[in-house]
Amino acid sequence: MNLCLPAVFLPLLAAPAIGVFGTRAQGAMANLALNVIVFGFTVGVFFEPGSGLIHADDLGMIFGALTSFVCMTTALSNLSFVWSGNEVLSVRRWRVYHAMCQVVLGSTLLGFYADNIGLLWVAVEGATIAATVGVSLSRTASALEAAWKYFILGGVGIALALFGTMLVYLAAQPALGPGLAAMSFTALGAHVTKLDGSLLTLAFVFLLFGYGTKAALVPLHGWLPDAYAEGPIPLTTALSTLMLNVALIAILRFRHLMQANFAGGGGALQPGVFLLTLGLASLLLTAFSLSRRRDARRFFGFSSIEHSGIAVFAFGIGGPAAIFGGLLHMLVHTLIKSALFQALMRGAALRGSAAPGNYGFSHLRGMIHSNKYVGWLLGGCVFALTGLPPSGLFASEFIIISQTIQRDPYMSLPLGLGLVLCAVAIIRHVGPLVFGHAPPHTKHQKAGVGINLAGLQLALGFGIAFAMPWFLLNALSSVAAALQ
Amino acid sequence: MNLDYPLAHLMGGVILLCAFSMLSQRRLAAMITLYQVQALTLSAAAFWQGFAQGAGDLYLTGLITLAIKGILLPMGMRQIVQRFNMVRAVETTVPVGFSMILGVGLIGIAVLVVLPTTVSAVSLTREDLAISLSVVLLGLLVMTLRRNAIAQVIGFLSTENGLVLAATGMPGMPFVAELSVALLVLLAFLVIGVFLFRIREHFDTLDLVGIEEIERRGR
Repeated sequence: MNLCLPAVFLPLLAAPAIGVFGTRAQGAMANLALNVIVFGFTVGVFFEPGSGLIHADDLGMIFGALTSFVCMTTALSNLSFVWSGNEVLSVRRWRVYHAMCQVVLGSTLLGFYADNIGLLWVAVEGATIAATVGVSLSRTASALEAAWKYFILGGVGIALALFGTMLVYLAAQPALGPGLAAMSFTALGAHVTKLDGSLLTLAFVFLLFGYGTKAALVPLHGWLPDAYAEGPIPLTTALSTLMLNVALIAILRFRHLMQANFAGGGGALQPGVFLLTLGLASLLLTAFSLSRRRDARRFFGFSSIEHSGIAVFAFGIGGPAAIFGGLLHMLVHTLIKSALFQALMRGAALRGSAAPGNYGFSHLRGMIHSNKYVGWLLGGCVFALTGLPPSGLFASEFIIISQTIQRDPYMSLPLGLGLVLCAVAIIRHVGPLVFGHAPPHTKHQKAGVGINLAGLQLALGFGIAFAMPWFLLNALSSVAAALQ
Repeated sequence: MNLDYPLAHLMGGVILLCAFSMLSQRRLAAMITLYQVQALTLSAAAFWQGFAQGAGDLYLTGLITLAIKGILLPMGMRQIVQRFNMVRAVETTVPVGFSMILGVGLIGIAVLVVLPTTVSAVSLTREDLAISLSVVLLGLLVMTLRRNAIAQVIGFLSTENGLVLAATGMPGMPFVAELSVALLVLLAFLVIGVFLFRIREHFDTLDLVGIEEIERRGR
């Protein structure tokens, strides 16, 4: 039985029901229950990957399970967000909010499991529309501006990606002829040297800019900080982790087609240059914009741009080890970022309200005076983002840097510079955020049990990087070798 | 005489012309009309391709285009324009002449990019692709140059028309793509419609210059 199908379609089919019925609390519970079930399915996919239009390859399995895991923990912390009553929304908008959470989950999973370039595009577009609706939900002026920006930039990206998708189809015509086969990743991969190289190059440029918009690569990143800062924070967690990953994976898959075509003498250009340029641009731009942010969510939004830039850079370097490093970087970053946003939400709730607009660094400083555990956890997560040891990101960045020195030595200089600048900009915030003077009238408060989940994710991020279980190591290595 | 090429090119040309005229139109109502003409031509092009390629699903694409983009969307947009009392208003941030020069430049780029890279493809597909890339780029240009939200939406929809034109020109492209494009455009339009009303609620204007709240607060 193909377990990918229920994993994808259960949330998508449940979304309309959640959007129409139920109170705020029922919606949150249903959201959590669905997430738990879907997580079960995505774990089951490891044993029943299925076949055909929607099936899981190794890459899809790993990232599908990660996605649903992060969604599940987010749904759990969403409970406290909903019950705290910080975000004042009408019942109807709460319903829409929970429905959109499900649509984002379902379409992201579809993006990972789809063995069809058209279906992949549909998945990304669906997730974008759902996320846009989610971002605009609080209906403040800045939320509307963020959503509009997201829609316009996202629309441009979607258009470019679809054009690229059609060009890939056209490039496959000489080898695969008309029909569904010319859109399937499996078939494209099998006949990759027979694809039309120059068309594939043209297609790749469109796809890179299209999916690059979703992965928030500079210069297409404009929507991300605003969308992160203005949406309900559980949705931000989902955005920061799921959307970036699905777009990065898409870029990786198309990069592989082009690289293999180049290696097989099909006439395509080497994709590395494009990816290296965009990756470095993202890294360096964030290095210089991080230090000027005063809002924590916007700040960590820029840090997501940095990390997606690093992953794309790793894909650009190429070779199995660098791809492995890039994928590991995505895995660990996802876990850390989602832990960070959950801790941030809890911290902001301790300071009064978890609604957007309460995430200024000056407002959150000295978290340890509000709650010791949340303070340390927040500090740990922010520190982990720098990529300094013992953060899990250190392992992946180490692999990427050593591969860069080996394959493209000149590139290692700007890469190192960007990494150091970003680390400095981030680490400056750890001290004040955790130990600084708290705002007046701060009282010590209980944080609740849910916060342990954030700690668990941080630990998982550490564990995956330094003590990766053998089955994951095997799967990830074989993926990296196949996609080199 | 074989009419496949001339007719397909004629309709592609009309679609391109509509996209290009959108750059010069100062009035929203005229832009909507241009969009409608473009969508109607697109559905005719889809029918023609369906007939020429003998592909039944292209007729369905043509029908969807006709119903949603040719009739429903323009009606909806006209209502919004009426409701917001913007029948006569349109502004451009860039002088019309300059934006048309930019447009010509983009068409040139599209032709120069597509024709040399597609030497091996069928010539109908090649030229169709060049035209549709031009339409896509012109739509994006409209989105960048106009500050009015509805004008930006029309730019987006025109882009989508260019994409469907490309899809209909591809030999045997599975129907999945076109169907989803049509449906998603509708979805996107619903989302936008809701936005427009909310923006209107908040700012009393659809002029996006006025809503740069985040910039003012200094991030």
